[in-house]
Amino acid sequence: MSITSFSFLLFLAVLLAVYYLTPKKWQWVVLLCASAAFYLLSGVEGFVFVLLTAATSYGAVRWMQALADRQKAYFAANRGELTREEKSAFKAATKKKRRTILIVTLVLNFGVLCFFKYFHFLFAQVNGLLGLLGLPQGEDTLRFLVPLGISFYTFQTMGYVVDVYWGNCRAEGNFLKTLLFVSFFPQITQGPISDFEQLSAELFTGHSFCYENYSLGGQRMLWGFFKKIVIADLLAPYVGDIFQNYAAYSGATVMVGGLMYSVQIYADFSGYMDIMCGLCQMLGIRLRENFDRPYFSKSIAEYWRRWHISLGDWFKKYIYYPIAMAKWNLRIGQKARTHFGKTLPASIALVAVWLTTGLWHGASWAYIAWGGVNGLFIILSLWLEPVYQRCKHALHIREASFWWRAFQTVRTFLLVTFIKVLPEVGTLRDGLGFWKRAFTAFTLPSSLQELLPMQNNPTSVLSGFCSDLTGNLLIIAFGVCLMFAASLIQRKTPCRQAMQKWPRLLRWAFFVALAVLTVWVKAYSGLSGGFMYAQF
Amino acid sequence: MEQLLEILEEINPDVDYATEKNLIDGKVLDSFSIVNLIMEISDTFDIEISPKWMKNENFNSVEAMWKMIQTIQEEE
Repeated sequence: MSITSFSFLLFLAVLLAVYYLTPKKWQWVVLLCASAAFYLLSGVEGFVFVLLTAATSYGAVRWMQALADRQKAYFAANRGELTREEKSAFKAATKKKRRTILIVTLVLNFGVLCFFKYFHFLFAQVNGLLGLLGLPQGEDTLRFLVPLGISFYTFQTMGYVVDVYWGNCRAEGNFLKTLLFVSFFPQITQGPISDFEQLSAELFTGHSFCYENYSLGGQRMLWGFFKKIVIADLLAPYVGDIFQNYAAYSGATVMVGGLMYSVQIYADFSGYMDIMCGLCQMLGIRLRENFDRPYFSKSIAEYWRRWHISLGDWFKKYIYYPIAMAKWNLRIGQKARTHFGKTLPASIALVAVWLTTGLWHGASWAYIAWGGVNGLFIILSLWLEPVYQRCKHALHIREASFWWRAFQTVRTFLLVTFIKVLPEVGTLRDGLGFWKRAFTAFTLPSSLQELLPMQNNPTSVLSGFCSDLTGNLLIIAFGVCLMFAASLIQRKTPCRQAMQKWPRLLRWAFFVALAVLTVWVKAYSGLSGGFMYAQF
Repeated sequence: MEQLLEILEEINPDVDYATEKNLIDGKVLDSFSIVNLIMEISDTFDIEISPKWMKNENFNSVEAMWKMIQTIQEEE
């Protein structure tokens, strides 16, 4: 079911009515039914794998919890009678069993994820290797659809399993509640990836109807639809055209294509988050935030703390810290005397994080390179920190000055754009060719037509008023200015809170205008693009 | 506790650790500083901090860190 379709709005209206008419104790059942319906309407086959993840994780956490409880009960029953050695032996035996359950569950679930995401990629690599060795190659005839949201729900659920193993969270005793945690429809296709403790508290507690939540949630949904339909979807044909035909365009066009892509993916992904956070607010549920004005970051490391925050947190909690804190790795840092040596444990963990992040985003060398380049920038900035400090001191740069911060922000945005485009143009060769074209074939355009000489001009949403190109670009520019203004306001106060100070009439006029423009563009653009992050 | 304060001062001397109660949530310490901190704490107090302790509430203040160290020492 497309999120930007009329059928989704109808689905939402029915859900809201049934949800608030249901006694609070059973509201989570309504959410479970809605999640199952949403998933089944998007494809029946994939739901089998959602059930598999829910069932295996439910069994695993219950078993691990039972072992932990049995240990606690045994120690309580034999208080003062057990020697230190006997206690340690019992603990070790319990830990071994719990670890086996954890490993089997992780291998099974990540195995399914890897099969769906990487089978064709690995097949192609093995074939390439056989070809190099002069051996006969196989034919990849297996065809299957990747279950919707598998990367998101697998990561979220495995995080829960690890949390129970660590003893940071108690196992849920109700299978259907576990199934709701795995399949909650606002987040299954694109996240955010939530903690069990935080999300379960929101999902399993009933909520009374609250007009403020309803109104603010609706406003946020509208803002999300605006970003998606008016900015991201209108930009998509231009970006697609430039990416596809970059070799035929001038460097200026290619550069503009790269910048447009950065805006498009932000409006698309953060638009989706606004729609879903708004929808959840209407239900009284607080979904965790996934963006914190990322294009205002002053370094790539900071950018990744502000873009797709929940994925970054997942990698930090379950990959970065366990590797950085491994005994062998800490020993390297403890023996080191130099700054470089002290950064080694973190650097080793960062290499693992960024190669996995690249693979998570897609099964191709371009994505692995994309992850590698991100990691390289972050690791280099760690290593070179003392050099930066000396340079700043020598050049008398004041860190707090407006111009220095503006320079850092623009530099980070351009770097992020450069890296972001690499895997999106096509192959890694295409990505590198794209940027080579930008810098080697640069000529200043004399007109807008020359800057964006689209081979396939999209339909104008203002036909009859101005030319195809100008009409759509004017609307996109208006949308981007509005998004930029909202980001500036958000620096100090959440936008909707700031707008509460506006006169009621002005506020309503603004939202009605936003809604009219969004519906207009949706109706006349003829575009119904899916969300970009759903492919991951 | 004083040893812990010395470690923290060495990692980031610009913070007033006596009053700061939001070291992680307030983004005062980043993940690289945390790894450095764990390296020094493990070495100084001869304890092993496993990833299960990596929760914001265990690192948000000196008191929380000190409580975590004591709990790990008791468990070991």
